[in-house]
Amino acid sequence: MKTRCLAILAALAPVAALAANPMSVSEELDAVYSYVGDANTRGAGLSHGEIDEQSSDLKYVVSPQVNKDLLLRFGAEWQRFSFDVPDHAAMPRLLQQASGVLGFDYQVADQWLMRVECEPGIYGDFENINWRDFNAPLVIAGIYLADADLQWLLGIRVDVRCEYPVLPVAGVRWKFADQWTLNLMLPSPRLEYAVNDRLTLYTGGGVEAGTFATGETFGTEHGEPKLDGAIVDFFELRLDAGFSWKLTPSVTVEAEVGYMPYRWFDFSEPDIDFRSYNAPYGQLACHARF
Amino acid sequence: MTRGLASVLLAVGAGCVFAVAAPGQTPDPVSAIKGFSDFQQIDLSRVLNGEVLSERGSLMDFPNGICAQTCYAMALPADQAAKHLQLWDPSPYPELKVFAFHAVHIPCELDDFQSLDFHNSQSPVRWLLSKTAATTPTRSDLNLTRDEAKQLSECMAQQSDGARVTHCWAKLLLARATTFQQKGLTGTLPYEVAGESVSPADQLRAMLREQLSISHEFLPVLKGIGLLGKDTTPSLTPFYYWTMFDADYHGTISLGAVYLLAVGDHYQVIDLEYYVNANYYTSATLYEVWPVQNHGQPAALVWRGDFFAAPTLRFTKGTDRIAYGVLMLQDIKKEIHCMQEEAKTRR
Repeated sequence: MKTRCLAILAALAPVAALAANPMSVSEELDAVYSYVGDANTRGAGLSHGEIDEQSSDLKYVVSPQVNKDLLLRFGAEWQRFSFDVPDHAAMPRLLQQASGVLGFDYQVADQWLMRVECEPGIYGDFENINWRDFNAPLVIAGIYLADADLQWLLGIRVDVRCEYPVLPVAGVRWKFADQWTLNLMLPSPRLEYAVNDRLTLYTGGGVEAGTFATGETFGTEHGEPKLDGAIVDFFELRLDAGFSWKLTPSVTVEAEVGYMPYRWFDFSEPDIDFRSYNAPYGQLACHARF
Repeated sequence: MTRGLASVLLAVGAGCVFAVAAPGQTPDPVSAIKGFSDFQQIDLSRVLNGEVLSERGSLMDFPNGICAQTCYAMALPADQAAKHLQLWDPSPYPELKVFAFHAVHIPCELDDFQSLDFHNSQSPVRWLLSKTAATTPTRSDLNLTRDEAKQLSECMAQQSDGARVTHCWAKLLLARATTFQQKGLTGTLPYEVAGESVSPADQLRAMLREQLSISHEFLPVLKGIGLLGKDTTPSLTPFYYWTMFDADYHGTISLGAVYLLAVGDHYQVIDLEYYVNANYYTSATLYEVWPVQNHGQPAALVWRGDFFAAPTLRFTKGTDRIAYGVLMLQDIKKEIHCMQEEAKTRR
C-alpha cells in the first residue's frame, strides 16, 4: 500500500481490536463530576439568592458487534443534579435520571453511519416515583465521514415531554491543522489543541439539559400547588477551558474550569421559570473505552 | 479525465455498457473473485465503466489488524496492468501526500537513499525530525531495534541538521534493505524500543492466516516470497522501493517490495512494507489481475486486498472501528482512482 490509511487512526482514537469472531464486544464507561458555584437566581417574581450545584453522570454501554455493519448498544446511565435551593423557592433540589441505554450503530451507506439510541428510565426528583417519572428520550443521528479530517453529524432528539419535543442536532468535527481540531459536537463543542500524543488543551462550551417530573406534592410543599407533579425542562450553558490527558490508550481523564453564564428551570404548566446567572464552575471526567 | 466522464465515453463509444470476459479462459474471473473474496455480487459492466466496488474487511481476531477489499478495472491489458501495479509511483499525486518515492537497486547502496529530504518545512517532516532527535538508545517513538536506536541517537548526537538526519536515516534504511534483499522476511528485525517486540513479518502472517480463502488464493505468490509455507526463502525477485509520506500529519518512511507472479492466465501482485519507521507496523496489498475485454479492448479486472497492522487499532473499537474501515476504504479508493487515470494515459 503506497498511500497510507493512517490518517484516520488519530481522528478516531479519542473516541475508543475486535476481540473474537464472530462477535466482538466493546465497552464504554464515562464518569463526570462538576461543581457550579453560587449563582444569582431569580424566578416567580422573586430573588432566591445564590444557589450552587453539584452534578454527576455515570454511563456504561456495552456494544456487541452483530455483523460487519451493525453494533447493538446496551447499558445504563445515572445522572444527578443537586441544587442548594432555599426552602421557600419552588425549585427542585434534585433532578435525577436513572435509565437504560438501548440502541444500535449501523453503516447505512459508504460514508454514512447512523446511531439510534433510546434511554428509557426514570427522570424526576425521585420523590414519590410513579409512572409520570418514566420517559424515553430518543436520539437518531447520522454521521457523514467526509474524510479523516472532516465529519458531520445531523440528527434529531425526540423527547415527548419536553416543551420542544423534537430538536435538531448538528455538529462538525474538523481537524484543520496538525494540532488543531474544531470539534463542534454537542454536548461539548470545543476548539482543541493537541500538545502531544497524550495531552490536549481545549476551550469551548457545554450544555446540560433534560426534562424531569417533580413529585406529586412538590408544589404544595413550596407554596405553589399548581406545580404538583409538574414537568420541568432544565437547561444549563457552560463556557470552559481545560485539558484531556490520555492515561493509557483506553483511558482519558479531563479537567476543566469555566463559567456558567446561564441556567434555566422552565415549568411549562403553569408557566413559571427560574433563572440563574454567572457562576464559576469546575469539572472532572474520566472516559474509558475497552 | 474524470472517472465519470470516462464511464460515459466508454459506454457511448461502444453503444452499450455490456462487456464480457475474454473467451476460452477458465475460471471466469468474476466467479474466481467471488470464490475467495467478500464480494458476493460483482456487476462486471459497472466495474468496467469505472466503478470501484469496496468491502470493509470482515472481523479479525488479530487485534492490531484491519483489512479491506476492492474490485475495479484498469484500461490496460492484464500483463501491463500487473506491471503498472508493481512499478507505480504515487508521488506525482498531491492528494496522496507522498513526499518521495524511489526505486532501490539490487544490491542496494547508500546512494539509493541520498534523496531523503529533511529540509522540507512541512509539519509532518518536522514531526519526524523531532522524533528522530528525541530518540535515545533506550527510548523512541519510532519503530527501531535497540541497536538501531543506539546507532540513530549516536549519529544524531554529532549534529542534527537536515543533511545529518538524512545521513543517519540513510544508513539505517540501507542496513534494513540489505538484510531484506539477502534474507527476505526472515531477516526483518523486530521493533523493540517502543516497549514490546513487534515483528512486521509476524504481524503480516497473523493477518493473512485469518483470511484463509484469500491466503489460499494467493498461496503461489505468498509462498514465493516466503511469507507463508515452509520455505521462508523468497524465490521471486521484487521491485524494491522506499517512500516518505504523510500519515496523519506525521512524516513516515517505509521500505517496500512489490512482487509479481503470473499464475496461469492471470497475475498476482503483492506490495509488502517490510519496514515502516513510525505510526504503524506494516502493510500488505494483494492484487489479483485478470484479463477481460471491455468493448473489444483488452482490459484488466483487479481484485485488491489491503492488510494493515497498527498499534492504535488494538484500542479502536466498536463504531470507531467501523468508521476507521470506512475512512481506510476512502483512502484506498483515492489511490485506485489515481492508478486508473494514469493507466488510461498509458494505453
